[in-house]
Parts: sequence; C-alpha cells; structure tokens
Amino acid sequence: MSGIVIAGASRTFGTVRAVDRVDLTVEQGEFFTLLGPSGCGKTTLLRMIAGFTPLDAGEIRFGERRIDRLPAHVRDIGMVFQNYAVFPTLSVAGNVAYGLKARRVPAAEIGPRVEEALAMVQLAGYGGRQPHELSGGQLQRVAIARALVIRPHVLLFDEPLSNLDARLRVSMRSEIRALQKSLGITAIYVTHDQEEAMSVSDRIALMNHGRLEQVGVPEEIYRKPATRFAAEFMGTTNLVEARALGLAAPVWVSLRPEALRFAEEAPVGWPRLPGAVVALEMLGPITRLDVKLENGSVMKMVLLDAPGQIVREGQVVTLAYDPSRLTVVS
Amino acid sequence: MTFAIPHGQRLPLAIAGLAFVFLGLFLVYPLVNVFGASFLDAEGTAFTFANYTKMLGRPFYRAAVVNTLEIGVAATLITTVLAVPFAFALARLPIPGKSAILAMASLPLILPSFVSAYALVLLLGRSGIVTQWLQAHGIGFGSIYGMGGIVAVYTLTLYPYVLLPTIAAFKAVDVSMEEAAQSLGSSPGRTVWTVTLPIVLPAILAGGLLVFIETLENFGVPFVLAEDMPIFAVEAFKLFIGETAPNPSSAGVLGVLLILTTTLVLLIQRRFLAHRRFATNARQAPPLLKVGAGVQALATVYCWAVVTLALVPFFSIVVLSFMEFRGPVLHPHFSLDNFAFLFDRALRPLANTLMFATAAALAVTLIGVPVGYVVTRYRSGVASLLDVLATLPFAVAGTVLAIGFIVSFNAGALVLTGGPLILVLAYTVRKVPFAVRSASAIVHQIDVSLEEASVSLGRSPLQTFLRIVVPLMLGGILSGMVLSWVTVASELSATIVLYSGPWSTLTVVMFQALESGGAGIATAAASFLIVVSLLPIALLYRLVRRYELS
Ligand SMILES: Nc1ncnc2c1ncn2[C@@H]1O[C@H](COP(=O)(O)OP(=O)(O)OP(=O)(O)O)[C@@H](O)[C@H]1O
Ligand SMILES: [Mg+2]
Repeated sequence: MSGIVIAGASRTFGTVRAVDRVDLTVEQGEFFTLLGPSGCGKTTLLRMIAGFTPLDAGEIRFGERRIDRLPAHVRDIGMVFQNYAVFPTLSVAGNVAYGLKARRVPAAEIGPRVEEALAMVQLAGYGGRQPHELSGGQLQRVAIARALVIRPHVLLFDEPLSNLDARLRVSMRSEIRALQKSLGITAIYVTHDQEEAMSVSDRIALMNHGRLEQVGVPEEIYRKPATRFAAEFMGTTNLVEARALGLAAPVWVSLRPEALRFAEEAPVGWPRLPGAVVALEMLGPITRLDVKLENGSVMKMVLLDAPGQIVREGQVVTLAYDPSRLTVVS
Repeated sequence: MTFAIPHGQRLPLAIAGLAFVFLGLFLVYPLVNVFGASFLDAEGTAFTFANYTKMLGRPFYRAAVVNTLEIGVAATLITTVLAVPFAFALARLPIPGKSAILAMASLPLILPSFVSAYALVLLLGRSGIVTQWLQAHGIGFGSIYGMGGIVAVYTLTLYPYVLLPTIAAFKAVDVSMEEAAQSLGSSPGRTVWTVTLPIVLPAILAGGLLVFIETLENFGVPFVLAEDMPIFAVEAFKLFIGETAPNPSSAGVLGVLLILTTTLVLLIQRRFLAHRRFATNARQAPPLLKVGAGVQALATVYCWAVVTLALVPFFSIVVLSFMEFRGPVLHPHFSLDNFAFLFDRALRPLANTLMFATAAALAVTLIGVPVGYVVTRYRSGVASLLDVLATLPFAVAGTVLAIGFIVSFNAGALVLTGGPLILVLAYTVRKVPFAVRSASAIVHQIDVSLEEASVSLGRSPLQTFLRIVVPLMLGGILSGMVLSWVTVASELSATIVLYSGPWSTLTVVMFQALESGGAGIATAAASFLIVVSLLPIALLYRLVRRYELS
C-alpha cells in the first residue's frame, strides 16, 4: 500500500470554483490536514476523495489505483463527520459492526473486533447502549471506532471536533492522533482551526479560494509563510512593507509578534525601531501591545508576564526585532 | 464510455425511471386520451374545437362552470374565516382540552365527505327526521339542497386543511418579533393584526387553495345535495356514463376544463406560496397570551362548537344506522336490521373495499416512499420533473382520471376494464401525491450524513436506503400507509366510474342506496366505513405512542 495522489482535481459549483486544480501527495501513514477559512473548499476536496462529490477534472489515486471513478461504497474509506452521523436505529455495537457486515466479515470475528475498536476509543462495555444514551463526545468516539474498525485505506475527518466543547476538543485531538499513529492508517483531516491543525498534523495544506496556498510541516508553515494570506491565517503577525522596517527592497514581509522585544532586552545585532505604545491588553501569561512606529505603522508584539513589569499606554519605547525571523511573503 | 451516469445518480435515476413508467402509463396516458377525446370529432379522427364551442355554447354547462367556481370560492372564504380564529385560539390562547380538540379536528379529513352530506339529507332533507319533527311543530326552514347545503358541508369537512397548517404557522412565529412590535408601542391586538397575521398568511392561503381544489374535484357532496343544479364533476360523470349514449368527447371537455382549473390553482399555490414562507427562527413555541375570562370562555365555546358541529353528521349516521328504516322512512326503534341487511346483501363489496384499500395502500407506499426520497434528496431536472408528475394526480378529479382509465384500458394491448385491478391502480395514482409529500417531509428530517456514513462504510446507495433510511422513516411510512388505506376505503368519485360486476365497494353500495331510497343499508354502510376509518387510526396512534415510549 502507498499514499494518496491527487492530481489537477477541480470542481465548480455554478460560478464558484470550490476546488481549483489541486495537486497533492499524502504519504502512507501520514496525518495530513486541510486547513483554511470557511468556504475555501476543504470539505469539497475531502468529499471528492470520499466519492460524494464527482470531479470535473483531474484524478485521485490510492497508490497506483485510480479511485475517482469508483462508487463511494467501494473506495475503502473511513469517514468521521462533524455531526457524528451515528445511526440512531442501531446500538453502539451495531454502529461499529456496520462496516464489517457490509464487508461480509465472518460473524465470529465481528464481536471481538467491535470490542477491540470500542476499547481503543475508551468505550469498552458500551456496545449495548443506544446512541441517544451517549454524550456528544461519546458519540464522536463511536463514529471514530466505526471508521477505524474496518481498517480503511484512509481515514477522513471533516471538522470532527467542532461540535464539542473547548476542553474536550483539546483532549480528543491528541487521542485521534495517537490512535492514527498506532494503527498506521493514513488520515486526512479538515479543520479551520490553525491551532488544532498545528497540534495534530504531520503536514498541513493551507487552502484559499479552492487553491493550495502552501503545503508543509506545521513549523514551516508557521515560520516561513509563503504568502500574506498564509502569514495572517497561521497566527497574529505584522505584515508590513519592508520599507517600514528601514529596508530598501520593495517587498512585503511578515514578522511575528514574538520576534519583537524591547531594545534593552534584545541582543545587540537586532535592528532597532523607535515608537510609542498605543494599546495594550493584559491576558494573564502574556500581554499584547500595539506599538506605533515613527513612520506611522503599528507593530504588534507580545510580552511574557514578569514580576515588576510595567508598561503603559503612551509610553515611548524602542523595539528590536530578530532579523532571522523576517519572512518575505508574496 | 457507454455508461457515463455518475454512481451517485444511479439509484435516483432507477427510481425515477420506474416511477415515470408507472405514472406515464397510468396517469399521463389516460389524461392524454381525455384531452384527445375532447379534441376529436364524432368519428374520432379529425382534430376539432367543436366539442368546446358546443359545450360552452350551452347555458347548462356554462352554469356548471359558474356554480362550481361560486361554490368553491364561497366554501374557501367561509372555511378560512372560520379556521383562522380557531387556529389562533388553539395556538395562542388557554383553551381547555386542546389535544382532544386537535384530534377531533383532524377527523373530517379522513371521514368520507359525502357521508356528511348524506347525513345532512337524512336529518334536514325534504323528508329528514329533524325536518319532519319541526314541521310537526309548525316550524319551517330553508332548503339544504343546492349551494347553501353544499357550501356548508364543504366548510365542515374541509376546514382542517386551513386549520392545521395555520396552527403550525402561529406556533412557529418568533415571539421576539411580537415583542419588538410591542416595545415600539403597538398594542397586543394591533400586533397580531400587523405583525403575526402577515407572517402566517402564506400558510392560510396555501390551506385555502387546497380547500378550493378539493371543492372543484369533489363528486359525492354535489351528487347528494345539488339536485338539478349543474356541477362540473357530476356533469362529467353523467355525460360519460349517460343513460342515453356515453359521450367521451363531451365528458372530456369538462374533464380538461376541470384539470386546467385545478392545475392553475395548484401552480399558483406552488409558485407564489412555496417560496414565500417567511423565515422565522423560533426556538420555542410562543407563550400563551393572557386574556380575560370572557375572551377565554368565548374562544373555548367557539373551538368546541366547530369541532363538534363538524362531527355531528357522522355521529348521527352511526346512531341512525341502529334504527329501523322502512324504505326511506325512519322508525325510532333500536334495530340491527340494517347491518344484517348489509352483511347479507353487501358482503362482497365489503370484502372488496378492504381488499382494494389494502392493495392500494401497499402500492402507494411502494411508489411514494422511494419517489419522496428522490425528490427530496436530489436536485436535478429529472427530480423536479418527477416531483411535478407525482403532484399532478392532485389536480385531477377522480371522475376525470377514471374516464381516462376507461378510454385507455378498455381495448388494445392492456385491457383492465371489468376487473378489480383498474380500481386499485386508479386509487394508487390518486394517492401518490399524498404519499410523496409525507415521505418527503420525513426525509427532510433525516441528516444526509447518516447516508454518507453508511456508503463510506461500504453499503451501496440501495442498501443504504433500505438499511438506514427506511428504518428511520418507519413511523412515517406506517402512518402514511394507514392514511392511504383509510382514504381509499371511502373513495367514491373514481370508483363509481370504474367498478363493474362483482367488483363494487361499500361506497358504491351507499351510492346505489341513495339513488333507490334504501336509506337503511346506506346508513349501515356509512357506519361501517366510519368505523373502518377510525379503527386503524386509533390503532396506529397507540402503536406510535408505544413505539415512542420504548
Ligand atoms: N453542493 C454545493 N452546491 C453549490 N455550491 C457548493 C456546494 N458545496 C460547496 N459549495 C461551495 O463551494 C465552496 C467551497 O465549499 P466547502 O464546503 O468545500 O468549504 P469548506 O472549506 O469546507 O468551508 P467550511 O469551513 O465552512 O466548512 C463554497 O463557496 C460553497 O458555497
Ligand atoms: Mg466544511
């Protein structure tokens, strides 16, 4: 077995190019995330792989095997939906056994495999329950067990955590990653939450208006965004023309807030920028500052909290930035 | 590539294909023949408008058009005026016994309307029981025959069509809109008039148009009450069955005019109302209004009076069926003679009724559920066409469809006249729109991702439909089936044209008794029909309750 190859995949709805000539290769066993703002085409691309949205052009292969013309039910995919989609007419065990029965797995084998899958998602002993007796988090675990148990070629997740509360979201995402790694099944995960994407993924594909904006490991996308969109989407940043930092080149650069410090705490080699604090926001562990430079541009920076640290609005300060963290964006 | 149909489209296309074949053969083809007959000359060869000019040239048939429309408009207006305050009271005022009122208010929809008309004749007709009693005391009153009686029966049997959707609409109104109006200084009364009523207006109009269509198509009520007043559906029947010479071309003209009118009304309803629903995102039903004891008492009396009045005719028929009739004359003694007579003379029609209703209910379900699924789930030209075609029977009066059936299937490759199948097929076609609507309403409630989950786990679309969708629809399928069963059991307008020899039904027995003055057997048949209608509904109600409790 090998990974997933997507070549030139496109899909148009009316006048909307939901997915626009996407080329991607996902490695076997990789945890791959499609990230992007609402309406950028993540779900459409995922549904193309699953077989629910036909391609207008391009192709999708699992290894050597072309699958984009196959009907959805023979593609060997485990899909986890945002709203769980647990069958209300079947028990928990019935839900998990559903795909095994469809594959005509011998009856004697089904019971143990269902139990094993339920144990993996920490629902051992819940097989006899009815879906309406479970919480949202438990339902999502059933949905995951149901997708895992068939040992599919690929697991597809469409915003599986967005209906859960914030705390559960954080613990479930690391569980999902741990499960995926222990089983070695390739996973494609859709989310619009960049923090979630960074925390679970081996690699991220950032999408915008149906196109791939940038593909890379989380650190790379965060630290070396290729475009202004990527720089802004991956976290707060200062997007300025290079001239504002006293550089000559006519380009835009991205400088993350954490690359800025007050001059007195910065190494000597860092360029200095005089300015004044125009806004500040104390968030506990960190304080966010807006500093207006002499040329009028406003730089965002963050300070880690420290005892005795006092910053006031209007205070005149000198900033310094780490030149190695400056990224030119297109 | 020879087979370029995307996989996801194969199941809906297969279903649509089968439905097109069925509806093409048993709906479109008969209707085309009715149209054809109306445009052919006496030899049946040349195209002509002569039938139309001839029919519309006769004052008698022009009067039929005017009468039918007048009755329809009057019944629709009165029904609406009666039902809207009723709906408001049930939705927003504290009325004791609401669920009982609601249950009783739905009954006229499943009870045969011509039974109600017949009861009116037995009670208040020329030799009616009440009439005679009043005459004995020297009190006279106006005639129930003609327009007044027909409109009264329509009002009492069709008001639920306006009432039920209007209640739902009143309950769906977002209270915050009313609160906004009141915070802007509008009095509660003015708020209802200026804010609430406009929001529910589409529901009221939609219900009203349904009433109008029903009045245009109805055969039984005018047959009982119109006497010599010409009415469309009745005249079409008389022309076709005609004691002298059956006349398909003249009947065809009336049929075509009737279809065109109802189709027009239906189109208006769908075009202007289906999309004119005002989006209100009420999270919960609006709270009951606080009103004075006087208003509350008035509203309570009003609601109870309407539901009760509508059921009085049915109740009286049941009571009367246990009394002794000598010919048309009633003797007020308890007696089981009518039933003895019914079971003696009409056992066969009785068995036929049960058999036909069962067969048709099964067929309607088998067609309506998959079609309802396809028209709801798939957006495509084929699905829209299927939707239109599956709604069409609603615009076709039973009499007209039946005439089309006879013209189409009395010779040639497929001969059905003279047998029982033609009745079952006509019933099936007539009830398809209801089955499709109710199936579609349930499918709307089913999350598509359940189906996608099933497909992604390896079940084909067909298996997914059978294993996931059908079980989820089961409650709805069952109640839809019972409703079809009940309404087929009391079908009159197509039956009366299509039955033959041993294949008559209870409604035919009643119809014949009406013509020959055999009131006793007619009341027994009517009682039997009422019981046969109520029993499965009551059973279903309990079944559904138990299903929901477990
Ligand atoms: N079935 C459809 N018919 C018409 N347009 C569609 C359809 N599905 C998606 N689109 C459009 O295609 C674009 C991409 O939609 P998609 O659902 O893939 O976005 P998404 O990235 O998953 O967004 P979200 O984060 O909101 O889920 C949107 O503009 C959407 O309106
Ligand atoms: Mg999406």
